[in-house]
Amino acid sequence: MDNNPYIPVPAKLVDVVEETHNIKTFVVEPVRPIVFEAGQFVEMTVPGYGEAPFTPSSSPAVSDRMEITVMRVGQVTERLHALGPGAELGIRGPLGAPYPLDTFCGREILIVGGGVGLAPLRALLFGLLEHVDRYHRIVLRYGARTPSDIIYRDAVSSGWGQNGKLDVRVCVDEGDADWKGNTGVVTTILEPECLSCDPANGVAVVCGPPIMMKFATLKLLDLGYAPADIYLSMEKNMSCGVGKCGHCRLGRYYACKDGPVFTYDAIESINKIWD
Amino acid sequence: MFKLQQGNLNAFMATLSSGRTVYALSQVDLQYHLVRAEAWDGDQHLLGSYRPVEPLKGLFFPPRETVGRLREDSPLPEMRERIVIGVKNCDLSALKIHDYVFLECEPRDPFYAQAREKTVIISCDCTDARESCFCPAVDEQPYARAGFDINLSPIGDGFIVEPGSEKGEALLDRAGDMLSPVSQDDLSKRDANRYAVTRRVAEQAEGRGLTTGADLQAAVRASEDADMWDVFARDCVECGACNFVCCTCHCFLLADGSSPAGGDSRVKKWDSCLYHNFARVAGGANPRKHRADRLFNRFDKKFVFFPEVLGRYACDGCGRCAEACTGKIDIRDVLKKALDGQ
Repeated sequence: MDNNPYIPVPAKLVDVVEETHNIKTFVVEPVRPIVFEAGQFVEMTVPGYGEAPFTPSSSPAVSDRMEITVMRVGQVTERLHALGPGAELGIRGPLGAPYPLDTFCGREILIVGGGVGLAPLRALLFGLLEHVDRYHRIVLRYGARTPSDIIYRDAVSSGWGQNGKLDVRVCVDEGDADWKGNTGVVTTILEPECLSCDPANGVAVVCGPPIMMKFATLKLLDLGYAPADIYLSMEKNMSCGVGKCGHCRLGRYYACKDGPVFTYDAIESINKIWD
Repeated sequence: MFKLQQGNLNAFMATLSSGRTVYALSQVDLQYHLVRAEAWDGDQHLLGSYRPVEPLKGLFFPPRETVGRLREDSPLPEMRERIVIGVKNCDLSALKIHDYVFLECEPRDPFYAQAREKTVIISCDCTDARESCFCPAVDEQPYARAGFDINLSPIGDGFIVEPGSEKGEALLDRAGDMLSPVSQDDLSKRDANRYAVTRRVAEQAEGRGLTTGADLQAAVRASEDADMWDVFARDCVECGACNFVCCTCHCFLLADGSSPAGGDSRVKKWDSCLYHNFARVAGGANPRKHRADRLFNRFDKKFVFFPEVLGRYACDGCGRCAEACTGKIDIRDVLKKALDGQ
């Protein structure tokens, strides 16, 4: 059956990159190419254990190989973390709506990531950097708990910042003896003096744990970003991924189908969005 | 429209259901049950005067359905042609919710689509009501206006038979020798029964504070922060019975496990929004941690979300949840409280 929306495309795990003590990037090759756009997500099956939603962290320009960065937090991810190259997986997707990159053209794009929330933003960065001339400026502000919790370490600490196309700043909640960067929660690197952004001509894209998203959003509003220009990844409990099973409802939306990225103006009136 | 004499009912049903698996109503005490049979049996089966215990949705959206094996391409299981006889309007109207979710919203669900295609629906006007019925309060009525293949309206010595689809018309062609023209008097009898039952159900709903035409969407929306949800939630034991007997509830979980045939399989199974972990994510965050939040969510989905996305309540007033609730939470009391609070 070609039109069964519940069954994944078989995929092979070809490489595993250890990012931190509890985060790994899984490189998978689906038997058929999966074409996605930045912001869309997939459901990854670990046969016999179930599936869980993840947003790919690799370039949307590559369809025969996908990288998915996963924190070990539950049953499926626990099992996934125990797997090595050669394991059989499944990928269902792409699901959800992508970032509207057309509307970002000519604007300044501020990307704010927290912890493993940088993973989906990495796919967005790849997408943006592919056509970097289309955007006025791209700024990345990333916060992690400690220096050892930073993912994509090489790209974050040097790679992305060095090509001159990206203004990168990183902070950690708690530094260590070797840490020379900023210390504090991510909003501390959203202060106007270390941001020099133009909210009137910019959009902000945020992904991270709920508490970080909440305070980052409040900070962005404070800086003058319009609610319609703040893009938030509202990753809820997405079971079917196709707007039918009811788990991820957020007001009049389903996060899996209408999101998972929403502008703040679409969801600000919904109770308890940060829980 | 045609007239069918009472004495021809069994022959009529035998003709319509020939070659199909039959789902019909069977009476046990004062309840009807939806049962499966190889053929219509006039001694066992009847059209029923109100809805059965079991919601119709289970024929199209089963409690547990294997949607495929993993690691291999699974064909859609073959389904035999079916006929369901005696469907009441609450259950029939509820299919508008399921059709929206499983057919109209892309991607369509091939399992639901096949079940719909393979099933002939013979509906029948209610001639009586259960104490828990309140369909006029949710803009419905105890007889079908659309959505059936054939509708039967009991009129004393027989039935008015009305086709509602091409499939229904083709079936009636096969039973043409049993049908005669309908008289004005027959229609008057049908309308009198419809009026009487509608009025009775409307009155019993009004007796519970649910006036026909009341704006339940506005009432439930306005109640979100009211303490009524904490009060009602004290009696909820999170059993999920309200969801499972509901004719409109469509939520499910995709779960993986081993299939009886061996190997990994994926099942789609009914889920309950009252369960603590319904909206919880792996990291531990739970947008509806408190039972009161989850109880409100159930009403918000039915009386606010669906009116917004589909222009109708996801409640047809069947009253099953009020009868099934372990904690005796009555949907009519909840709606009345929301209306009173405005």
